[in-house]
Formats: sequence, C-alpha cells, structure tokens
Amino acid sequence: MADLSSDPKALSGRTGFPPMNRHDLMTALATRWRMVPVLIALALIWTYFSWANPLFISPRNLSNLSLQIVVTAIVALGLMFVLVIGEIDLSVAASGAVSAAISAGLAVNAGVDIGIAILVGLGVGAGIGALQGVIVTWFRAPAFIVTLGMSLILQGILLDLLPEGTNLISLVGTPLGKIATLYLSPGMGIALLGAMTALYGFLSWQSWRASHQQALGGSLLREVLLPTAAIAIAGAAAVAVFNAYRGVPGLVAFLLVLLAAFSYVTTQTRFGLYLYAVGANAEAARRAGISVPFVRIAAFTLTGLFAALGGMIAAGRVLGVSPDSADTTLLLEAIAAAVIGGVSLFGGRGSVWAALIGALVIGSVSNGMLLINASTQTRLEVQGAILTLAVVLDALLSRRGGAR
Amino acid sequence: MATHTPPPVLEVRNVSVRFGGVAALTDVSMVVWPGEVVALVGDNGAGKSTLVKTISGIQQPDSGEILVAGRAHAMKGPQDAAAAGIQTVYQDLALCDNLDTVQNLFLGREICLPWWKGRRMDRARMEKRAREVLSDLDVKIRDTRVPSSSLSGGQRQSVAICRSILANPQVVLLDEPTAALGVAQRKQVLALIERLKAQGRAVVIISHDIGDVQQIADRVVVLRLGRKVAEVTRGGYSRDELIAAMTGALDAAELAALRKELAHG
Ligand SMILES: Nc1ncnc2c1ncn2[C@@H]1O[C@H](COP(=O)(O)OP(=O)(O)OP(=O)(O)O)[C@@H](O)[C@H]1O
Ligand SMILES: [Mg+2]
Repeated sequence: MADLSSDPKALSGRTGFPPMNRHDLMTALATRWRMVPVLIALALIWTYFSWANPLFISPRNLSNLSLQIVVTAIVALGLMFVLVIGEIDLSVAASGAVSAAISAGLAVNAGVDIGIAILVGLGVGAGIGALQGVIVTWFRAPAFIVTLGMSLILQGILLDLLPEGTNLISLVGTPLGKIATLYLSPGMGIALLGAMTALYGFLSWQSWRASHQQALGGSLLREVLLPTAAIAIAGAAAVAVFNAYRGVPGLVAFLLVLLAAFSYVTTQTRFGLYLYAVGANAEAARRAGISVPFVRIAAFTLTGLFAALGGMIAAGRVLGVSPDSADTTLLLEAIAAAVIGGVSLFGGRGSVWAALIGALVIGSVSNGMLLINASTQTRLEVQGAILTLAVVLDALLSRRGGAR
Repeated sequence: MATHTPPPVLEVRNVSVRFGGVAALTDVSMVVWPGEVVALVGDNGAGKSTLVKTISGIQQPDSGEILVAGRAHAMKGPQDAAAAGIQTVYQDLALCDNLDTVQNLFLGREICLPWWKGRRMDRARMEKRAREVLSDLDVKIRDTRVPSSSLSGGQRQSVAICRSILANPQVVLLDEPTAALGVAQRKQVLALIERLKAQGRAVVIISHDIGDVQQIADRVVVLRLGRKVAEVTRGGYSRDELIAAMTGALDAAELAALRKELAHG
C-alpha cells in the first residue's frame, strides 16, 4: 500500500532487514526472547556460587538441587495455567497438603492400594481447582479472595484429616516415602534423553516439512537442526552430571516428561492457544466462539491437579503429612518461580518452561546460600530482590507489549 | 439506474426496536445490493449501532424482518447471521494482542491435524491461507508471526476485517472502522473496503466522517432519532445537505426535495 510510506510507524516495518529499534527489542524480550534475561541471571548465580564454593557445581550438589526444586516447579507449572488466563490461585499449598493427606491416609491408615490412593488424591486436587474455577467464573468473584478463603478452609480440613495427638501421617517405609530415592540407571537416563530429543526433532521436522510443502519457506537448519542439537547438548551435559553421581533422579525425569507434555499442550493444541487468547482478551475470545467459562474452569482444574501432585511429592520427600505441609513458603516460592521464569501476572504470557527455570533460580539461591553459610536474613533479602526485579521486568514488558 | 434481477443480498423491512421507553429504531427499511457500499450516518444515538446489531443477530427486532438474498431469516444470534453470510467487525477491535496475525485470523476456527497426528494445529495450512487472504486484499504485514501488539492501528483493523472475510461472507458490517485511526491508516482501511466491494461483497459501514462517506459510499442512509430520514446516492448530495439531514436542520420542504431526489434515484 503506497499510503503506508507517509506513516512513520509503518515505515519502520517495511525495510527488508530492519534495524532493531527499542520497541522491537522490547517486543522480542516480551515474547521470543523472554527466557534470555532469566537464563543470564541463572548463569550469573551459578557462576557466583561456583566461585564462592566449588562444591556448588559438584554432581552431588547439583543432583540434590534438582531434587529440591521438583515440588516448586510442579506447583509453579500448575500456577502457570491460572496466571496465563489472568487469574491467581492462592490455595495451591493447602490443596496439595489436603490431597496428600487424603492419599496418605487411604494408603497408610486404610490400607487402600497405593495407585488408587494417589488417583483419589489427584482427583481431590482437581476437584478443588474446578470448584474454585466455577465460583470465579459463575459468580465473577475475584480469584484472589476466593482462593485465599479456600486456602483457609483447606488448612482447617487438613487439621481434621490428620490423626489427633500426633498430627502426622508418616510415610516412612511406604512406596510414597521412597519416591525421592529412586534414580534412573545411567543407561536409562541416556535412553530417556535420546527419546525426548528424537521426539522434539521429529515434531519440529514435521512442522518444517508442512510449511515447506505449502511453499512457505523456512530454514531446516534454524527451525529443526539447531534447536534439536541444542536440546541434545544441554540434555547430554545434564545427564552426564547426574550420571556422575547416582543417575538421573526419578522425580527429575518425571518433571521433565511432564513439562515436555504440557509444552506440547500449550503450544501445539487449540486448548493451549485458547488459554493465551482468554488471558489477553476474553471478549475477543468469546466473540470468536471460544467457550471462555470452559477454558477458565479447565485452567483452575489443572492448577489444582498439579498442586495435588506437588503436595504428594512433597509428602514423599519429607516422609509424611503434617500441618506444616500447607506451609505458605511453597505457595510463595511457586508464584515467585513462575514470575521469575516469565509468566506474566497480567495474563496472556508465559511458557511451561518458566516453571523449571524460575524454580531453578530460586532453588539455586537457597542451595548456594546454605553452602556459603549465608544467614537466613541474607537469603531472604536476595530472594526478595530477585522476585522484585522479575516483577518489575514483567510490568515493563507488559506495558510495552500491550501498547497499541 | 440498472434493474437488478436477483434479489438484494440484504433487505431490512420495517424494523422497529424499542428499549423500554426509547424507540431506538422506528419502521426502518433499507436494501443492499451485492458489490455495493452503503453508509449509515446519523447523530449520536440515532440508532446506527442498533441497526447493525439487529442485522448481525445480536439484537432481535420488535417488529419487521431481515431478508438475506430474498429469504427471511429469524436470527437468534451472531452464529445465525454468520451462517446466513453476514459478518460484523465491531469498533472495539476484537484481536488478542499476544497472538500473531495467523492466530488472530483463525481464532476459534483453527485447522487441526487428525487425532492420530496428535491433534496439533496445522500452522502451515493456516499460514498459507492467511497469506492468501491478506494478499487478496492487499494488506501488507511484514511478519505474520509477530504479536498483534506490534502492528499499527490500521494493520490491526485490517486484520480484524480480513478475519471476517475468512468465512466468505456476502455482507460485511463495519461499525466505525476508521474512528480511532490517523490519516494514512484511515486511507489504508478505506482502500481495503474498496477491495471488498471489488470482490462483489456488500459492505454496510457506519461512519461519522462525511469525507470518508463521500469517498466510498455508493449510497447513504441517514438516520435521525431512530427513523430513516433520507437516502441519497453517490454524487446526489452535498456535504452540507447530509449534515443538515443528520442534525435535523432541514425543514420538511427541503426534506421532501431530498426524498424526491431519492425517488428519482
Ligand atoms: N442496550 C440498550 N439499552 C437501552 N437503550 C439502548 C441500548 N442500546 C442503545 N440504546 C439507545 O438506543 C438509541 C440508539 O442507540 P445506538 O447505539 O444505536 O446509536 P448510534 O447511532 O450508534 O450512536 P453513536 O453514534 O453514538 O454510536 C440511543 O438512544 C441509545 O441510548
Ligand atoms: Mg454506535
């Protein structure tokens, strides 16, 4: 359109290889490159702690660190769904604890089959999420308060569920109590990496071939080979470190498979797209024929499901369920992880991998601070500062990204 | 004037809409032929948006009927209007800022691979179709993969209009499509409307800008306080006459003269 040339904004977008101006840079940072500043921060944190105490990068410590972040990462993954649709769920820690108490109670005290007990617990978590989703959607009540109230109710229910006197359901010696001590054999770790890399390579090759068949172009090197190679190299490094200690921890392998599966759901399926659409502009989504209530309730349900999963794994790691299981530290760290990883509190933005990277940032700081004998005060101050920085970045990028 | 043998693509017959005590529309009739741009003008509260909402099935008329290609349609909702070949682009843009052009164009009607291929969205086919639609209408978007937030206002409005074209409608209703745009971007959208017309589609456009109306409308329907007070054809009216008809500054005799002109078409 010839008219465009008189419009300075359009003009900048017309040259073949545009110089990257500030606005383009901010947009890229808010979207494709959202992980870049986070990864740089993580690299800096790791460099510092390795320099301050070389034990930090020992295979043993890295292996423990990765086990320490599994629960936070899984709960953060769940939170991502509600955050993306522009809502929040403050009940995740309490709902995880209640689900774990129900599973543990069934398995340990009632002698129910462990598989069934876990399924019931997951169902309870999903049910709590769905109920909150229904309340928020139908009554248009603010999620902030609805889920805060639910959290209080669930903390009360947790006390009711725990046996009087001891206030503890012990998981010592039960299958659930052993999950944190499972490791893949070195060969299995390599096989898992090979399978995941191959699957990624195959799926991206399929997309590349489809756009090639439609004559849309696209470089095989940049869209398939390089990303697949990057995953293979990063994965090989991680597996090598794990295998230098006891092998890939079972829980870490589980977390990675879960993240990969939900990465597919959020980026490749219609449902995933609708989450982002509802988060950005619910009215536009409604007019496009999307069932906004369904998407909202589904997001809350997934959050509840992952909260239950996180709660059970946490119980397995500390070998029991107690009133402390509903501790708000987990809630705060999971929200912080999601936000640090780049999930926007304003809705519509954030990837599944944010949960992993954000949890790694928080976990690395906790772990490293212990290794260098820093005081609790210092640890809290540093973690708080990182979270504040992350949320400021989110606000800056959202303002830019949302500007017309 | 040429005689039209096929029925008009859209006909509004004696439509009235009341909101409690307010008569938003009173006995309004109009016809729209294929490949024609009809402008709806009138002062604030004249009933333009109500008329568009009635045609697009969002508002049910209290009396009167809507005919599409000669057949009466009782439209219970926007889906019914869409099925009858009517698409509407509302003034407040219905795009998601975080989604790219292709995702916005196909939102709610994504093309997916079969379940045995994992129910993935078929990005390649959507991208291809999107590029076809954009180039058919000569809408220039450098990169269809950047989020809509980085498009200009004119580009965004163009994407919203292209979105309505994907369903291949016979009638496109535009409620103030140029209201929020600068001069260059306004031209861009007006050129797009010309191309919709060249494709043989009928366009009904609400506009407050007399300049725009004079430029693109083949026919102008003037509403005042819910009634159709005048209908003029391209070249058959002056700017001042139009404004007078809108604001009610014309007296009855002048109005009769305008009506006579209309009758002679
Ligand atoms: N949902 C509604 N409920 C009650 N009254 C309404 C409703 N929608 C419109 N009206 C009234 O109907 C009349 C016509 O409104 P309409 O929005 O169709 O005007 P318009 O010509 O589009 O005006 P504008 O140029 O300001 O957009 C106004 O008096 C308005 O207040
Ligand atoms: Mg209006």
